[in-house]
Amino acid sequence: MAKQQTEVRDLQEGSYVMIDDAACKINAYSTAKPGKHGSAKARVEAEGVFDGKKRSLSQPVDAKIWVPIIERKNGQVVSVDGDDMQVMDLETYETITMRIPDDADVSPDENIEYLEMEDQRKIV
Amino acid sequence: MFPGAADEREGTDAADTGRGGDTDTRGREPDRGGANFVVVGAPLDATTTFQPGTRFGPRRIRSFAEPFDDYDHRTDQCFSDLGVVDRGDVRAWDDIAEYLEYLTSALREAVWDDSVPLLLGGEHTVSLAGVRAVEPEVFVCLDAHLDLYDAYDGNPLSHAAVTRRILEDVDSVEEVVLLGARTGSEAEWERAAHDDVTVVPPEDVADWSPGDRLADREVYLSVDIDAADPGYAPGTGTMEPFGLEPCELRDVVRAVAPSAGGFDVVEVNDRDDGQAAGLAAKLVREFVFSHADG
Repeated sequence: MAKQQTEVRDLQEGSYVMIDDAACKINAYSTAKPGKHGSAKARVEAEGVFDGKKRSLSQPVDAKIWVPIIERKNGQVVSVDGDDMQVMDLETYETITMRIPDDADVSPDENIEYLEMEDQRKIV
Repeated sequence: MFPGAADEREGTDAADTGRGGDTDTRGREPDRGGANFVVVGAPLDATTTFQPGTRFGPRRIRSFAEPFDDYDHRTDQCFSDLGVVDRGDVRAWDDIAEYLEYLTSALREAVWDDSVPLLLGGEHTVSLAGVRAVEPEVFVCLDAHLDLYDAYDGNPLSHAAVTRRILEDVDSVEEVVLLGARTGSEAEWERAAHDDVTVVPPEDVADWSPGDRLADREVYLSVDIDAADPGYAPGTGTMEPFGLEPCELRDVVRAVAPSAGGFDVVEVNDRDDGQAAGLAAKLVREFVFSHADG
């Protein structure tokens, strides 16, 4: 999986983080002051990018953590078939099959933006 | 640790505990997902106005819960069977807004896990974090004071302004029911006269019943221990005579608990021989038994 390591202190709202092996977008980030002998702790509230599930973590701010590398891509809808659509990546011209989100209304020749991490994709 | 609860204290330093540095579980792998209730201590003692000491509240409540039997005859349940997890205290510091934000996040985690947060105060201000996490429609509160100041001593996050903050800053809250309230400033009583606030004076609490009022609505229950008469709970910061009997508090907790998605007991300090803490601990258990009993 494409990911890189950083420290918890470098996370911020709107950025991505791996929680429970899932790529999540951070909705809230708050820190607790250090104890007399401990380091400050951070609490992260996040939502799965691809599954929408809410997750949270509490870690010392100097702990290492994984951040997923999620690509933002442009594609063109080639065809629509039931709940699925064929999308051509406008950079590589590779054609992929994606599930159409419930709240999306797409039609052939339409250009879309989507997030991609390995074989997971989501329209934005 | 609250007696009968599983121990899942927050780690207090940067040591890696084998669970990604999350919590100090003393080597045990907890099943947090299965917890029905999550105890969190919030020893905030920043705006207490008369006698301080709420920083010792969570510790006192846990300590004075020790002599209670695990078994509850009324509901035929054992406390230790009800999936209560104690996550320890979220250590308080003096930036109240920042602290409340962090505390809210800790409590929201319990809510996301479909658990009921049980917050041990701490001054009453911590209820704002509990309500933010649970996002109820109705805030039911046992309290001697209205706590409807817009700001007290210039501080909108004072414990004397917590009910006002909950009403005005938490979008989900539609109304507040204050049980046992018997004192407030003129401006507070004027605010209490609005349609979104119901005040039940101490003499009417014994006859109060939620009826259908809480049906199908998300509810948060808060107990400021000073709702009790100071003769029963002297260990609190701002004692107010002519208060409730312990059984009256108990009956309200029993009646509201099945509807409540969050609970707190606050304003317990260390200035008595454990009467306030003992009563608070008993009310926590009454809440858990009654909620679990449905």
